[in-house]
Amino acid sequence: MKFNYSTFSLALITSGLITLPAISHANDSAELEDLRNLVQELSQKVKILERKGENNDEAAAAAKKESPVIKASSSGFSFASPDGKNEIKFRGLLQADHRHFSDGANDVRGRSNERAGNLNPDGFHSAEDTSLLRRVRPTIEGKVGGKYGFRFTPEFAGGSASAVDAYVEANLSPGLKIRAGKQKSIVGLERLQGGGDIKFVERSYVTNAILPNRDLGVTVSGDLFENKLNYGVGIVNGVADGGNISTGTEYNGEREYTARLFATPFVDSANALSGLGFGIGATWTDYTGEKNLNFTDTTAADATRNGLPSYVTEGQQTFFRYTSNAIADGKRIRWSPQANYYYGPLGVIAEYARVSQDVSLANNGSPAAGGAAAGASVITAGTHKNLKHDAWDVGVSYLITGEDASFKGVKPKQDFDLDKGGWGAWELVARYSEINLDSDTFKNAAGVYAAEGSGIGNAFSDLTKSAKSAETWTLGLNWYLNTNAKVSLNYARTSFDCGALRKGLAQTTNNNASGSNVRDREDEDALLARFQVAF
Amino acid sequence: MKKSLLTIALISAIYGITTPVSAFAKDVNLLNVSYDPTRELYQDFNKAFAAYWKTKTGDNVIVKTSHGGSGKQARAIIDGLDADVATLALAYDVDQLSEKGKLIPKDWQKRLGHNSSPYTSTIVLLVRKGNPKGIKDWDDLVKPGISVITPNPKTSGGARWNYLAAWAFAQKKFGGDEAKTKEFVGKLLKNVPVLDTGARGSTTTFVERGIGDVLLAWENEAFLAQKELGVGKFEIVVPSLSILAEPPVTVVDKFAKKHGNEVVAKAYLDYLYTEEGQEIAAKNYYRPTLESVAKKYEKQFPKSNLVKIDEEFGGWQKAQKTHFSDGGTFDQIYQK
Repeated sequence: MKFNYSTFSLALITSGLITLPAISHANDSAELEDLRNLVQELSQKVKILERKGENNDEAAAAAKKESPVIKASSSGFSFASPDGKNEIKFRGLLQADHRHFSDGANDVRGRSNERAGNLNPDGFHSAEDTSLLRRVRPTIEGKVGGKYGFRFTPEFAGGSASAVDAYVEANLSPGLKIRAGKQKSIVGLERLQGGGDIKFVERSYVTNAILPNRDLGVTVSGDLFENKLNYGVGIVNGVADGGNISTGTEYNGEREYTARLFATPFVDSANALSGLGFGIGATWTDYTGEKNLNFTDTTAADATRNGLPSYVTEGQQTFFRYTSNAIADGKRIRWSPQANYYYGPLGVIAEYARVSQDVSLANNGSPAAGGAAAGASVITAGTHKNLKHDAWDVGVSYLITGEDASFKGVKPKQDFDLDKGGWGAWELVARYSEINLDSDTFKNAAGVYAAEGSGIGNAFSDLTKSAKSAETWTLGLNWYLNTNAKVSLNYARTSFDCGALRKGLAQTTNNNASGSNVRDREDEDALLARFQVAF
Repeated sequence: MKKSLLTIALISAIYGITTPVSAFAKDVNLLNVSYDPTRELYQDFNKAFAAYWKTKTGDNVIVKTSHGGSGKQARAIIDGLDADVATLALAYDVDQLSEKGKLIPKDWQKRLGHNSSPYTSTIVLLVRKGNPKGIKDWDDLVKPGISVITPNPKTSGGARWNYLAAWAFAQKKFGGDEAKTKEFVGKLLKNVPVLDTGARGSTTTFVERGIGDVLLAWENEAFLAQKELGVGKFEIVVPSLSILAEPPVTVVDKFAKKHGNEVVAKAYLDYLYTEEGQEIAAKNYYRPTLESVAKKYEKQFPKSNLVKIDEEFGGWQKAQKTHFSDGGTFDQIYQK
């Protein structure tokens, strides 16, 4: 058979045509397998990466749970454990004030420590304009174990450092909180309002003059009935009216008992009464006057040396002092009904306080100075009295920029910002407050007005030097630049009953038996300005 | 007068007889801090114990459980997680509660039977259906291209058992040659793409995320994965040699005392040793220690050649120091 190339070629081509797809198919399968493996490999890698991502997220979440929480906000700076049970907070309050007096005296007439220099025609030094730091209070407060905490607030205003608050507390439940150390008295409503939250530059006579400021001891307080009733009871060292105890001084061995109930029965309601709160506070103690004699510690403020206070105006000028030989001797009972109300931008606070104070006079030198050199001072027989002083006030505030008023600070709808056009929050405030002292304060045992140098002694104060009442109208404006910064301007006009010597009489002349040589102390016109930063 | 006294006495007696015990029942809260794969076990056990305790005392006991890597859980208790009982993966972690936390006495392991391990387990290999990579023993895990899933021995008790089981196999294979053993375990760890913090995390990686060719797992966890998490998708491979894992339990005395739970906490652990407790353990694929129950479930658990921690590694304290403490063999051979 002749070899047929064409047939052979055809056969080759044909076989090639036939076998080509088979070879091609085999190659495809291998590639497919490779591709499958590659896809699986890549799929595993992707899954591994995803899983590692999940694990990293879990690890990050777990780490976050264990990392301390650091906060810096308008309410202060803090760092806390992740569960919030342990925390340290840093807070602060700084108030820079200016006081301008167009009229007014700077102390009672004839004050023994009066400065040299010219007295005004009424026998007083005039109240001086002054710029001052009213409060410089950094605060460290903390919590350990969720329930136990502390607060330490030093005060650097006033030239020397002191501890304003220094206490430890156990918050066992909302209804049971125990606090021990130096702390705010639980009795007064306006006192319990933060120093940076008060609506006026200075607190009223009820708070500043009659009720205690801060004391050392133990208090138990809490909120009951779903925060509708707040209670507080305390056993403290006891301080004179308006007193702020020093951290290390116990000048009398007696205890003072304090208590307060404050109800907000409609707090859960949505009606106009939801912002109504009312209550009553009281203190009770019984001093043995002899214990107030012969003090050798002359570093303490004289307001608390003899257990008796002096009273100041809204411009912080003293208008009443007890005579230097008067001492607290017997019971001191204070009580104070109180109420506040907040509805939208409107806020009202009203308080009354009455103190019933047993007093005696001592002889043989000033008890505050430890008696005369010749011997220790003793209580003068027949001088014991009970004096009753009271004070009340009504303060109204209204946020004209529409923010909600509250017992605490104001959060402006818009912060003051020149670039963005915000003007902060603006608030108008007005208050009437007065304080009335017992007339018996100025009389001797026989009921006769007495005065130093008059030959008629044995009264507890002198009407020609100390006023027996003060009435103050305060108008003001608060500008909240933001949650932390506030500018306040108050105008306070105070008029007095008595407290000065009738014009024309020599300064050495004191009041006579009827008190006819007495006239009213000059009115005080004070402009009080404050710039405050609190956080 | 006498009549009224009699009436009061009668009323009191009737009241006393008819007032149900539940009127005086109290609620008891108990916290069991456990390791990762015991969720299902204690879910069942807690219900049974609550019913038992209610019948016995009338009190309502509510047991809460916390699960995580065993070492991590021990640290949490030491740091203040106030567990009434701890049911962890290995004795070393419980030892820490005594040594570092001063929460339990040093001889805690003597307080309950079987060295305070009411159930045991072992380490097996879980592979995908059909065993596509042909994995039969530890040898196969060091081959290139084999992806092994096991948790991190630094945080997981199960992972430490896995590691030691592999180590024991290699030691036997290489006649105690430590260098070769290290190399073997090092190769195995190189094949681990993800280290989860706990055994349950590794199960998730293998079963749910589909990562890896083989999961080194507690026997109970492997059974769970095979029978409940992915029915028909996995097979258990029993290696030629593994380790007897003895997860211990203890009352955390300091916290139980603080909560007034000493009695109920002890009763809770005692109940693990009862027939009922052992049945629950066996049903959750833990090997019971009570002979009668062990016999009943004999067929459930494959026969294995198991080494013991005390005999092979000189106890947990030594094993921990040698292998898992900072600078130990794990740190030496594991490269991220």
